Amino acid sequence: MAYFQTAKQAASLLTLALCLVAVPFVTNDFRAYQLGTYLLYGVVAQGVALVWGRLGFLPLGQALFFGLGAYVAGLLFIHAQDNALLYLLLPLSILVPALLAYLVARLVFAGQYVSGPDFSLITLAFTMLGAQLANQFTGLTGGFNGLANIPQLGDLDRYSSMYFLIVALVLFSTALLSWLYQTPLGTLWLAISQNENRLQFFGFATDKLKAGAFALSAALAGSAGFLYAAQQGLVTPQAIGFQLSAELVIWTAVGGRFGPYGALLGAVGIGLLSSDLREIWVHWEVLVALLFIAVVLYFPGGMAHLLLNAYQFINRRSGTHVPAYAVAPKTPGLRAPPIQSCGGDCGPVHLRFDNVSVQRNEVSILNGLSLAVEHAGVYCLIGPNGAGKTSSFNVLTGRLARTSGDIFLDSQRVTGHRADVMARAGVGRKFQIPSVFNGLSVTDNLRIALWSNRAQARQLLESTSRQWRTDMLDFLENTFTFLADQADKPAGELSQGQRQMLELSMTLLAEPRLLLLDEPCAGLSTAETQQQIEVIVQAVSRLGSTALVIEHDMAAVQRLSNEVFVLHQGQLLANGTLKQMQDSPLVQTVYAGGQK
Amino acid sequence: MSLPAQPNHKTGLVVQHISGGYGDTLVLRGVSFTLGQGQVLGIVGRNGVGKTSLLRLITGHLPVAGGTVSWQGRRMGKAPAYVNRDLGISYAPQEAVVFDALTVSENLNLRQRNLDACQAFFYSFPLVRQRRNQKSGVLSGGEKKLVSFVRVMAEGADLTVMDEPTEGVQQENIALMAAHVRQRCEQGASFIIAEQNLTFLLSVMHQVLVLDNGETVFQSDAFDREGLEQFLRI
Amino acid sequence: MDSSTITLLLNLVYHVLVLSLVALGLGIVFGMLGVMNMAQGEFLTLGAYAMVVAQRMQIAAGWGILLAILVTATLGYLIERWLVRPLQTRPLDTLLATWGLSLLVRKGIEAVFGRQYQNITQQIGGSTQIFSVDYPSYRLALMLAIVCGLLMLGLWYKHSTAGTRLKASVANPVLAQAIGIDVKRQACMAFVCGVACTGLAGALLAPLVRVEPLMGMDYLLGSFFVLVVGGLGSLSGLFAGAGIIGSTQVLVSTMLDQTYGYLAVLTLSIGFLWLRPHGLLSNR
Repeated sequence: MAYFQTAKQAASLLTLALCLVAVPFVTNDFRAYQLGTYLLYGVVAQGVALVWGRLGFLPLGQALFFGLGAYVAGLLFIHAQDNALLYLLLPLSILVPALLAYLVARLVFAGQYVSGPDFSLITLAFTMLGAQLANQFTGLTGGFNGLANIPQLGDLDRYSSMYFLIVALVLFSTALLSWLYQTPLGTLWLAISQNENRLQFFGFATDKLKAGAFALSAALAGSAGFLYAAQQGLVTPQAIGFQLSAELVIWTAVGGRFGPYGALLGAVGIGLLSSDLREIWVHWEVLVALLFIAVVLYFPGGMAHLLLNAYQFINRRSGTHVPAYAVAPKTPGLRAPPIQSCGGDCGPVHLRFDNVSVQRNEVSILNGLSLAVEHAGVYCLIGPNGAGKTSSFNVLTGRLARTSGDIFLDSQRVTGHRADVMARAGVGRKFQIPSVFNGLSVTDNLRIALWSNRAQARQLLESTSRQWRTDMLDFLENTFTFLADQADKPAGELSQGQRQMLELSMTLLAEPRLLLLDEPCAGLSTAETQQQIEVIVQAVSRLGSTALVIEHDMAAVQRLSNEVFVLHQGQLLANGTLKQMQDSPLVQTVYAGGQK
Repeated sequence: MSLPAQPNHKTGLVVQHISGGYGDTLVLRGVSFTLGQGQVLGIVGRNGVGKTSLLRLITGHLPVAGGTVSWQGRRMGKAPAYVNRDLGISYAPQEAVVFDALTVSENLNLRQRNLDACQAFFYSFPLVRQRRNQKSGVLSGGEKKLVSFVRVMAEGADLTVMDEPTEGVQQENIALMAAHVRQRCEQGASFIIAEQNLTFLLSVMHQVLVLDNGETVFQSDAFDREGLEQFLRI
Repeated sequence: MDSSTITLLLNLVYHVLVLSLVALGLGIVFGMLGVMNMAQGEFLTLGAYAMVVAQRMQIAAGWGILLAILVTATLGYLIERWLVRPLQTRPLDTLLATWGLSLLVRKGIEAVFGRQYQNITQQIGGSTQIFSVDYPSYRLALMLAIVCGLLMLGLWYKHSTAGTRLKASVANPVLAQAIGIDVKRQACMAFVCGVACTGLAGALLAPLVRVEPLMGMDYLLGSFFVLVVGGLGSLSGLFAGAGIIGSTQVLVSTMLDQTYGYLAVLTLSIGFLWLRPHGLLSNR
């Protein structure tokens, strides 16, 4: 399986290598020199494609990192002529952009669950600042006219042999990105773009993942800048400013943002074309802008996608909706390593809400909620609308800020902890409206759940992690047969009921110690509801976990649990067995709407 | 209570086998009823059974997946929800019942020409008049419901749809609310009221529809308290 | 107080008021309606170029202002119907589509007018004595106009029925529809007003700033910073944000230089995004 992927990747890479290497021989050195510059832009565009096409947030200022790398390298090259030790500092042209990118991304993403326009605008602001600084500090950067007289890199003649070093960088970055895209990390990246919120509930710190990817894109841009300085001999503020940043986004979009080859195609295709046509035809740039809008609205995959479709059509292969980045044949599978959060031997979870209140604009969402769970098993949370059931889940998993009170998990204060932190502590959550990764296959959805709290960083780079299996997975596939039968189907094409079952399966596969299930049977037929309940009861018993289930269907409550918490107006009204609640006049009043 | 006028397709609401839901789940299936002038239909059921969804389907806030809704002879469901007011249908939702950022009087005369229509209600509910210049956001849940009730009654529509109008409201006021509803009925207005407060419903309604799990489990114009309480038990 | 301090203070007030005017459009479109319009800056550019056209046609500046409002309102309406409304549930696509639009507008203006800076003559030339210093009259007139305009807007929003209806539509669209308000039309009109405001700002600022195709970028970013710091959805948030960003920029620019002013504003915004993402006075 990995073999097939690697063979396909190797073939593509080889083709690319041959095409690029052939250019100076087929055309001439000058054309190769021109192409070389746009290949470097292509590497930067590949970084944009990584962040935008794969992870789903848009960098509008990527030239900042390219220009930064170019200026740093240029300065070092110039001054190293006097002091050879400065050559040792050359990696800075890659490290400085990468660190800056990481820092900015961490800060911007810290305050939000999901990406918004803030990131794009901040990167835009940075590129404008970069250009301003480059123009201003004439002493350092040569100002408006740029940093000139940068010497060649060693013996590499910039008009001939330099080209091959550039080709080497292109091949390296293409290979690196292609490889990363098909690792488990690549799948996690896609998951971020599809449902970042959900991924956090599997214990993944998505802000760090995003920042890391952004840093990688900046490193690629910096390395391209490094070679750019050596190739051009001149670095002007154009290399760091808004225009280039905007063009990079356009090239990536039109070429194809979903893969490294598309980005290259865009930069070389549109970029080179633009440099020729821009002078001749004044309306060329307007046409490109229209092309960009058309791509955004109607052809998100860009030229690369269209070409791929044409290729597949010609070869009479049926196109699939899900790009073929991870299709595993059925292998016997490896036993997955154990869960991280507790070493597997921790006893039942102790959960305690201590007088938790949540006030929003004069409205009491929770009003001194106190409840405690000490033993394993299934507990149901019932109560009228607005009682605070889902809110109690939200406040426990960092999605709702509490005004007062505390929450304790195993005697540790966990009030206000983020969703991913709680997930890593062993809290799993299933949402009322099934929330899965719609663009990923059923199998990939399950895999993400398997990696949750289990996979260490190294294992996220190994394709063997895709083969993990657990006893829980065997059990679930036996019960919900569609998990195996429709393994390659994108989760978005499942019926609502199947998505409920898939999400439940994913929540269970992460083997949480505390399961929060919010109306797990909503939208299911009677037969499906029965099945769902059976799975919950059996799984919880196997895992020795504790489950809190919000339910309205009293028949389901009856079958699921022996102990029930009745919530009302943000407080615990009563708890006990279901029979006790049914006999309690207080509870009945609340449900029958009498005097309150 | 006197026998109300028989439903007639030119003046009443005719609902036939409607269903609707969110995404590809149906939360309400195959509900039918007719409502004539001067009649009150009570919708009863525990929470989560589909009462709110039914009201949303009727008032156009949820797209109808199957079946038909006809009001005064015209088929509903094509136009956006805001036209319903001009067609004579008023709606008081269950949640977010007032505009928190606006004062009570702004809430009441957002689309009214004057406050005269509200006078009768100010008399019954002095606290609404007292708080008329306060921002609605600072009112308690029950007070907001009261403001919502006054607003929707003052609109004087032919059909008024209310979702849990008495939730959080004080006992004395609930009785007054029922009196106002009965008065409007005698003038020919129709009501659909989803409620968990059986005392209130029993004092105003002519027919009842009990929902469970998105479907009708009981529907009649003959009912009693104990029978209905059974449906609400957990 | 010596004259340089008075001039500094006047510059500060000027800057804050101009920032309020410019950010008002984005405050309506993004702060209130939640639409991230990356082309907002281009509406300012269009407004400025309307004055260029008026000048070339040698008609009175008043017509230029009218033209600015007309062009931006029309374009805004078309965008709202054909771009924003269909993409309502996909914010990233809205960002992309409007960014593409901004590109198109910039390139279009370049194609028609070229890249060079345009010069608009000030309608009110010379300077006036105020607080015993000489200050450009046009600026003073503009500041006065902005104060009056914003005051009227604030009063309108607070007390008129139309303003109340708009507030209602945005805060609680379901209830607004139940009352019979056409929420979609409210949103459309608000959007059109939002972009027309920015167009008006462009027309009024044209004599004072560099008029060139790329001018909109800085104003988009400035407005964005104001909203980040001040918070979304309220006029008071807008003022707070404009006050803080404007003062910081003017003070740091005067003490050090303009680039440091920009850097200070950028750092401040990132700080807010990190520590107080909803800004100072958020309503959403």
